[in-house]
Amino acid sequence: MIAENTQTQMRKGILEYCVLLIISRGEIYASDIIAELKSAKLLVVEGTLYPLLTRLKNNGLLSYNWVESTSGPPRKYYLLTPEGTAILGQLDHTWQELVYAINTSKKGTDLESENQINLTKS
Amino acid sequence: MKKTLNINIGNSIIHLEEDAYEMLTVYLNEVKQHFSKNADDFEIVTDIENRIAEMFGEMLSGQQKQVIDIQDVQSVIAQMGSVKDFENSEAEEEMAAHDQSLPPHDGIKKLYRDTDQAMVAGVCVGLGHYLNIEARWLRLAALISIFVGGSGLLIYLIMWIVIPRAESKSEKMAMRGEAANLRGFMNSHQNPLLKQSRGFLAEFFEFLGNFINGTGKAVLKVIATLVVIFGSFFLLMLIIGLAGVFGMWDADVYNNFPFNIIDESYFSTMLFAAFIVLLVPVLALVLFSIRVAFNVKPIHKTLSYGLLIIWLGGVAVTVFYIAKVSSEFKESAEFSQVTKLVPHQTLVLAIDKTRFFTKEDSLKYKIDPVNYRGRTILSDGRGPFDHPRDMNLRLEKSENGKMILTENYSSQGKTFETALKNAQNIHYDFQQIDSVLNFSSALQLVNKANYRGQEVSLTLSVPVGTHLKINRDFNRYLNGYNFWDCYSDDNQDYSEWVMTDTGLKCLNEHKDADSEH
Repeated sequence: MIAENTQTQMRKGILEYCVLLIISRGEIYASDIIAELKSAKLLVVEGTLYPLLTRLKNNGLLSYNWVESTSGPPRKYYLLTPEGTAILGQLDHTWQELVYAINTSKKGTDLESENQINLTKS
Repeated sequence: MKKTLNINIGNSIIHLEEDAYEMLTVYLNEVKQHFSKNADDFEIVTDIENRIAEMFGEMLSGQQKQVIDIQDVQSVIAQMGSVKDFENSEAEEEMAAHDQSLPPHDGIKKLYRDTDQAMVAGVCVGLGHYLNIEARWLRLAALISIFVGGSGLLIYLIMWIVIPRAESKSEKMAMRGEAANLRGFMNSHQNPLLKQSRGFLAEFFEFLGNFINGTGKAVLKVIATLVVIFGSFFLLMLIIGLAGVFGMWDADVYNNFPFNIIDESYFSTMLFAAFIVLLVPVLALVLFSIRVAFNVKPIHKTLSYGLLIIWLGGVAVTVFYIAKVSSEFKESAEFSQVTKLVPHQTLVLAIDKTRFFTKEDSLKYKIDPVNYRGRTILSDGRGPFDHPRDMNLRLEKSENGKMILTENYSSQGKTFETALKNAQNIHYDFQQIDSVLNFSSALQLVNKANYRGQEVSLTLSVPVGTHLKINRDFNRYLNGYNFWDCYSDDNQDYSEWVMTDTGLKCLNEHKDADSEH
């Protein structure tokens, strides 16, 4: 149960980051985002994405255009706002830190040398 | 075959099978409920609906079909994810809120009629679901209450009208108290699909129809068989009756009441027409009953049309003659004949049953005046129903002290002349033998006259103080006085009256049952 919880939280955090990453490559339709996420094996069901997209949009990270569709209703095509781009930059940085944190956590033996590198960097 | 519905989802028109629609509705309601805590619920749900519409569109065009069935909805839900999946991927801050607001409507029961397990209209079963009581006990109670005053029947009818029937899957689940979520939906999905929804009256008549088809059919067959038996019997009687009437034609029938209205010249035609008018409907009823009872078609359609035409012909002829005969009663005429009687202190009023014979009668009955000399022939006692009462007697006080009998002959006819002639054809016998006044019980028609409402009204004027002994047989013909009002225990055949200034007065002291003998 605890493991599941942690997994969920990890996925959730990463999901937002991934969605922003996918959108940052260009204007994209929600179900295409889903397809990409599925191929990345990150998302199980589509229903999860819509609240997420809405939240990101309401926070000013995303905007969308209505695009007429040949089959069915007009579609929402999402794109990043400048603010979104800025935040994506921050997230990129955070991700680097996380990767470092995990790597560091895994390679406990190199702890001191890594620390030194880190110190010299900053 | 399945019923389909049109829905508008994401601005597209989609055809759905009914069960698929039910499932989708439940799913979307769950989704809406789930996101209702979210500020942007409308937008999210719209996005989801749009996406579902798009998936439906792809399915329809991809599989070259026109209707979304329940498998399609299931695969859409699998792709979109159930509410449970949403919950898993949501942050724990929302989870906390969730625990408190775990849908309270889950398991809430609603009162519906369960027509799937119904004996009559599902009231008892529905109530049983609601109260968690086995339906059989409620049914038993209802049945008992019908026999105890019948109030149960009324209550049942009211509940039938008031309580809605569980029509949709979700209503049925609410009725059983199952949670109206997708899982419950899946559980109850194996149940056979519901009947179509109808109003109370339509439902009631459908129930009646079912009843007649089932239990009622047997009863109906028994009734039909009885109708066949009695109808055939009646037909036989009718034919025998007709033959009998025709057979007796030369005999006395013509002189008896219902038949003597009709003129001899068209008597047989009218009788035959009336016979047909009676025969054909009974025959039709019997034939129809044969069809109901034995499931066979006994006659051809052409034949039944033929019967109808014959019947209509019979009706036309009958109506024609009825009109003709009734026109014979249009005018009326009367004349009076006054006879002076010899006064006596005590008069005896008697009904004379001696029959008067016309010359024709004498010939008919071969009465030889030589052999019958000194004998009387009594007429058969006529009952009150086979003959109209054509004689009546009024008793009144004589103004001039003389005793007078006024005989008033009246009749009806097509014209005044015929009416008068009919009245003249009345023969009425009255005889005074000393103090005994003999009145004939009925008039006779002579010269083969038909019955045209001929009547003899007699008025007997009696001087004041005259004693009258009235025979019991007279009661039927007496106007204004009743024999039984003045009834003597000593002499049961006669009652004694006296004429006073104010009319007749009874002389027999009325003896009550409790007085001494």
